[in-house]
Amino acid sequence: MNIAVCVKQIPDPAAPGRLDPNTFNLVREGKLVMDDSDSYGVEMALQLVDRAGGGEVTLISMAPNGETSGLRTALAMGAAKAVLVSDPALGGSDALSTAKVLAAAILRNPFDMVITATESTDGYTGTVPVQIAEILGLPAVSFAKKVTLDGNKAMIERQSESGYDEVACELPAVVSVTAGVVEPRYPSFKGIMAAKSKPIETLSLSDLGLSADQVGAAGAREAIVSLRKAEARQAGQIIEDDGEAFAKIIEYLEQLKVV
Amino acid sequence: MVRGSSAKVTSERFNETHLAVVDAVDYYLNSLGPKKRSFIREIFDQHHYPDELNDAMVSLGLFGALIPACYGGTEAGLLSMVLAMERFSAFGLGNTLALLITMDTMAILTGASESMRRRFLPKIASGEIKTAFAITEPGAGTNSFELTLSAKAASDGTEYVLSGEKAWITGVDRADYVLVVARTTTLEEIKRSNLKRSFGLTLFLVPTNASGLSKVKMSTVGVEGYNQFQLFFDNVEVSSELVLGEVNHGASVLFSALNPERIVAAAMAVGSVDYFVNKAIEYAKERVVFGGRSIAHYQSLQHPLARIRTTQEGARLLTYEAAQAFDRGTAPQEVGTYANMAKYLASEVAFEAIDRSLAAHGGTGFVLETEIVQMLASTRLSKTAPINNEMVLNYIAETELGLPRSY
Ligand SMILES: Cc1cc2nc3c(=O)[nH]c(=O)nc-3n(C[C@H](O)[C@H](O)[C@H](O)COP(=O)(O)OP(=O)(O)OC[C@H]3O[C@@H](n4cnc5c(N)ncnc54)[C@H](O)[C@@H]3O)c2cc1C
Repeated sequence: MNIAVCVKQIPDPAAPGRLDPNTFNLVREGKLVMDDSDSYGVEMALQLVDRAGGGEVTLISMAPNGETSGLRTALAMGAAKAVLVSDPALGGSDALSTAKVLAAAILRNPFDMVITATESTDGYTGTVPVQIAEILGLPAVSFAKKVTLDGNKAMIERQSESGYDEVACELPAVVSVTAGVVEPRYPSFKGIMAAKSKPIETLSLSDLGLSADQVGAAGAREAIVSLRKAEARQAGQIIEDDGEAFAKIIEYLEQLKVV
Repeated sequence: MVRGSSAKVTSERFNETHLAVVDAVDYYLNSLGPKKRSFIREIFDQHHYPDELNDAMVSLGLFGALIPACYGGTEAGLLSMVLAMERFSAFGLGNTLALLITMDTMAILTGASESMRRRFLPKIASGEIKTAFAITEPGAGTNSFELTLSAKAASDGTEYVLSGEKAWITGVDRADYVLVVARTTTLEEIKRSNLKRSFGLTLFLVPTNASGLSKVKMSTVGVEGYNQFQLFFDNVEVSSELVLGEVNHGASVLFSALNPERIVAAAMAVGSVDYFVNKAIEYAKERVVFGGRSIAHYQSLQHPLARIRTTQEGARLLTYEAAQAFDRGTAPQEVGTYANMAKYLASEVAFEAIDRSLAAHGGTGFVLETEIVQMLASTRLSKTAPINNEMVLNYIAETELGLPRSY
């Protein structure tokens, strides 16, 4: 069982982010960290490989400046190796460009499954997983909250608005996992030491057989045209509890059609 | 950005293992995010050190730090434990159980038979077995040679029967075994036969659920998240397999375990200084009292904090020195000098730090939500236990300065 896991390396969410005033893109200088959302996919993949009794987890990432800090974290969790695509021409990539690059990188190694998060914490488009599937010509199962294996099939519980769907899916497939799928381990110091010598293959666009006009700002089909601050939230409604406040809360929730 | 530990751990002074331990601990502490706050509330409000933190310390390989790989340990070493504990303590999450386990591990490594090592050490490293430590009795604290809890060999020699009392024993309710220091030769016999005062003590690893052993919770403060107990031994039968070291020669095993205990205690105190100072800085920068400038501008606020930061670094270096000497296998006597100096300076500066942090906070310091004043007792305790600073100074006066024993 070989699994490719897409891992995004993002600016540390603990530090306040900055947007480039000209391109409206997030500034991605300096050290990047593994997107927390991807730690679930890494953990899921490690568990599936473990249960299958063999194989390995390969990380796939696209990041500026040959950044590997976030990948080292995922390697420390137990992934075997990583493929990093880093090329100045990738600046300004939109979701589709990213999917093209990741798909090409995934194809470098044999795999039975591709795991991604449902969306990244710094971009939030949520479209990359299905785009990868489309490019690779594979089935996509999104929002997995549970993944098990049954022979050559993945049995997936897929989160829906009202509950979950049970999906059986032939492998290989692309599966996006939610934050509830498994509890990610944190790297142990032995894992961190071992990760130092695990291979990270760093590739340019030409290594992948892609040209600069297909991806990056040049190939982007979406553009951010303007940006404005989120509106300040209105003050909430305060209900004094005279013993009957629960009824008002139920009434309010009914209005919202959530109960 | 949240300010954490002020320790600068770089490759010039530390090896790859130490750097990786620090990375792993930082990753874990960062990933906790706001959960750190709920852990603090659990410690302060429910007087319960979170199990999740103990589990994390196991996963991080810390409970196996002193344990060789052949017994399932991580061999990270005492200095790794020190670096890790400093960082947890910098967020107010110091763990006294980790200190007790570290010292008990050392006693097992030094004193236990091969089969006992195989039985206990892997389970300590994996977190399945947790241990407490019981030496203090109502009538024997600083002067532990006065202890009277007796252990008598049963006629066939396969077991011992323990009777007597211990008090102030931390964390017994969370531990599977308690390392008990008992007397196998009475004080009278020692006097009569003109034996050494350190003769006659024997160490037993007693299961906390042993029949005849009862515990009564004491109304104490001082160790956040763990309770203290009086232990009553009413003819508790303990297998002679569970003796650590030689009968009557327990003091020498004990001696090997006291250094790691003091060193980890020092690390927790050094780390807690960051907690108090960081909170003071954060608050002072916001608080405006006179003339539109924050109180952080006042020299009367800055100088004490700067002095504390300086002393803290001194205490830190002493702690590192002691841990490094221990890891190198330096003679306990030599490690002891640094371990005692570190414990002394660290606990003194920690108490000064909480004092100045409370000063900077004014009345806010005494509001429970500020989460400082709850640590006043424990920070003061660090000057009194595991050994009081007066005794530490006695030791340094005697061993370093060659002065006569004062007591
Ligand atoms: C919260 C808490 C947790 C504890 N946990 C444990 C535990 O897990 N296991 C355990 O075994 N014990 C534990 N103890 C006990 C602790 O180690 C003892 O209280 C401590 O060693 C002091 O002993 P004592 O209380 O008998 O003080 P005493 O021996 O009565 O000493 C009182 C004071 O006299 C002074 N003094 C004594 N001798 C000298 C001297 N020679 N020179 C100068 N001054 C001196 C010191 O200032 C000392 O503080 C705990 C105590 C507390 C409060």
